[in-house]
Amino acid sequence: MTQNRPHPRSRRTFLRQLALGAGAAALGPALLQACGRGPGGSAESAGGAGGELVISNFPLYIDVDAPGAPGSVARFQKDTGIKVRYVEDVNDVRQFFARIQPQLAAGQPLAQDLIVLTGWMAERLIRLGWMEPLPLAEVPNARNLVPSLRKPSWDPEQRYSLPWQSGIAGIAYNIKATGKELRGIDDLFDPALKGRVSALLEMRDTMGLLMLADGQDITRPTWAAAQPSFDRLEQARKSGQIRRFTGNDYQNDLLAGNLAACIGWSGDVAQLAMEQPDLRFLVPDSGGVLWADVMLMPKGARHPREVARWLNWVYEPVEAARIAAAVQYISPVEGVREVLAKDPATAPLANNTLMFPDAAMQKKLYVFGPLSVQEEARWEERFAQITEG
Amino acid sequence: MPRSLRAEARRPRWPWLLLTPGLLWLLGLYVLPLLGLVPLSLSEPLSRFGLDTVFTGRVANYSEVLQAYGPILLRSFSFAAIATAVGLVLAYPLAFAIRFRGGRWQPLLIGLVVLPSLSSFLVRAIAWTSLLGDNGPVLGLVESLGLTDGLNGLGVLRDGRLLNTPTAVIIGLTNTLLPFLVLPLVVAMQRIDPRLLEAAADLHAGPLRRFIRVVWPLSLPGLGAGLLLSLIPAAGDVVNPRFLGGPNDRMIANAIDNLLLVQLQAPRAAALTLVLTALITVAVGLQLRGRGLEELPLP
Amino acid sequence: MNRAGALLLGLWSALAYGLLYAPVVVTVLFSFNAPRGRFNLVWQGFTLENWRHPFQDGALTAAFLTSLGLAVAAALLAVLLGGLMALALSRARVRGGRWIELLLALPLTNPEIVLATALLTLFVGLDLPRGPLTLLLSHSLFCLSYAALTLKARLAGFDPTLELAAQDLGAPPLEAFRRVTLPLLAPGLLAAMLLSFSLSFDDYVVSSFTAGETLTLPLYLAGAFQREISPQIQVLSTLVLLVSALVLVLASPPRRSPR
Repeated sequence: MTQNRPHPRSRRTFLRQLALGAGAAALGPALLQACGRGPGGSAESAGGAGGELVISNFPLYIDVDAPGAPGSVARFQKDTGIKVRYVEDVNDVRQFFARIQPQLAAGQPLAQDLIVLTGWMAERLIRLGWMEPLPLAEVPNARNLVPSLRKPSWDPEQRYSLPWQSGIAGIAYNIKATGKELRGIDDLFDPALKGRVSALLEMRDTMGLLMLADGQDITRPTWAAAQPSFDRLEQARKSGQIRRFTGNDYQNDLLAGNLAACIGWSGDVAQLAMEQPDLRFLVPDSGGVLWADVMLMPKGARHPREVARWLNWVYEPVEAARIAAAVQYISPVEGVREVLAKDPATAPLANNTLMFPDAAMQKKLYVFGPLSVQEEARWEERFAQITEG
Repeated sequence: MPRSLRAEARRPRWPWLLLTPGLLWLLGLYVLPLLGLVPLSLSEPLSRFGLDTVFTGRVANYSEVLQAYGPILLRSFSFAAIATAVGLVLAYPLAFAIRFRGGRWQPLLIGLVVLPSLSSFLVRAIAWTSLLGDNGPVLGLVESLGLTDGLNGLGVLRDGRLLNTPTAVIIGLTNTLLPFLVLPLVVAMQRIDPRLLEAAADLHAGPLRRFIRVVWPLSLPGLGAGLLLSLIPAAGDVVNPRFLGGPNDRMIANAIDNLLLVQLQAPRAAALTLVLTALITVAVGLQLRGRGLEELPLP
Repeated sequence: MNRAGALLLGLWSALAYGLLYAPVVVTVLFSFNAPRGRFNLVWQGFTLENWRHPFQDGALTAAFLTSLGLAVAAALLAVLLGGLMALALSRARVRGGRWIELLLALPLTNPEIVLATALLTLFVGLDLPRGPLTLLLSHSLFCLSYAALTLKARLAGFDPTLELAAQDLGAPPLEAFRRVTLPLLAPGLLAAMLLSFSLSFDDYVVSSFTAGETLTLPLYLAGAFQREISPQIQVLSTLVLLVSALVLVLASPPRRSPR
């Protein structure tokens, strides 16, 4: 829209200018979208014209461009000459699924060549047959995958997915607000913290932690085993013990002082602790939930060659180390620790057991096992009842 | 045939020419889809992971939905009613002040009422989370005035917290609907001759009496329009409960949103939507009985 | 009215304005904040840096432009369709006019969630992919009612004899309309456009159902709030507010003499 101040005498001229400006503003974005290069803010609207590799990922999950230090995407483009359209539009895994489902169900390709989603969602997509096997023959660096993440439950043959990052769901808390160090999940139900506690909307993380505290085996989850934890959670919601159920936004509340303790993710808290040193992350002795976000190639992806180059590039220990240093989650690539240790600026990270779980830590970490379609429906309905009131 | 007579014969036709495009829009994009919700509400989902459905005449959708979401429906209308009541308490004096004390500043004062509504709804919600947060200025003021215990007892605060409570949701709702109460009241009060108030004062009627006997009855049409424009959108609000409320404060639009977009249960979402529509139609029907739409405070 | 009463009235009005402007003041204030981390929610210190680079956040700016373009297109469409309807309804006695008015008011009498659900199920049923087209259709619909009713109200206050006078002076009907009525209607048209524009620009519920992949500003913000709140958000909000204030002034109806 034109910013010219209207001349008092010629309102008509102003209106004419306004109309022209409005027309241009209306057509502009549409034209740019059609050319695939303009605003639109998401992968789908771009269309991935020509040899452009289109990637959808969670936000803030990669090292971004800083002054004097280009981020991974920029460096990849420079190293390989492949153009990348990297879009951070995976906010909620379920919502993302709802968006891509219509096209995939109709057998149509997506705009994306590569998407990063949580393991259990990957399992669903693989089971539905909507994913293409990764061109792993062209990814020699895939052998750098850490052993603990090989042949996972969501992709037993390791054909369709490669992990992007891994992480731990545990307890994040502000030690000044709680007044003491926390020990385990029971602390979240402490009446002293009433109304200043939150849990995640990510069902497997919240229920996983609760069930572990209840002494259950979450690697083979059953409906019956989950009931006491469901009940406990519901009770806490009804009584007002739990202030909110959150996605990533538990972070604002921790910083603003609205939450004393919550269920959160290791990498987030590591990043937050840099600006708020009172924040701590605890993996309860009863166990923490280990999860992985994995890279998938949807059926009909137009640039499998370029996908292979990307996979190979991010599994290069030096590049993987840069990403790990930025996001501070658990890297799936072997050798990252050694790379970080060499540089004095990143050496402290190499000793961070949240990023590189030692044997003691690994004993406490469990991956939530698979649920059948019917089971999942039942669990999600119960969970939705609890979280949505 | 002379030109004027030809035009005469043609005249009845042209209004419909102008009306048709808009009517097509309304019918095609509103009426028909709304009617289409009826068979949808009697269907069942085809697969777990899509919005495709098959018609099976399943009436049980309604009973299930009413049982599961009855409390939320009740809560939504209660919140909306409370917010409207609080809004009225604020709106009436303000409208009175603008109309009878505003003088030549009236347009500016009215504009100032409208202006906040033109800023981003979501950004305002985020601002409220700052204002109402545990370390925020509002709680700070309450604490410094020593009102915390009293308000805790009244249930206005929950354990000394304001954010993520019903109170915060109602504050947000009141903030949203206030302009829509003020404007129709001002418009209605324009029709009240100030001399009526002077006459009442001459007859020794105090301020309260003047309000009850003069202002209130004559402003009722505006009140009606205001209620229409505030209560209903408030009951269907999504953003305020989501940002300012806790999990015990969800409202009906959150529930429909969750049903449709997260749980992918289109038939139950349709059933719930139709229940909501029915309730509102009854309320609106009672309210609009006989009255026209002239009082709508459109610019 | 005595002094105490006037004071009370003044205070009460200030309270009402205070409620309305509290979040706005906070937003403007925080546009000058230098946040320590990712969330611009805690006051750290004053800075003009954010205002020097209002469009620094690329994704935010993209969503902003998308909303802008969409709102303008939807407003134009709504004012066009609605204006024609308003013209017909106010100039001619149409049979069933009352019913048409009722039909126009119908979308206003239900919460947006009803419209959103109806539209989504329509688009799913028609197999129409959710994107810019469905957004435009959806937005133009709810703007249509407001635009039509606004223009009808403005036309009702308009003196038709002016146009007839022009015709008597020899102007053909269409020209009389164009050169007499239309300019006098300009504030009304602008008001209808402003109303439609702001309804579309700030729309959340309907957009969340019908946008598909497209990110309008409210949709972008809802997602962004999960992970960060950059000060550019407050800066852009303040800018939008300033521009709205300006257009509001331009679109105000001709002053009626106070009675």
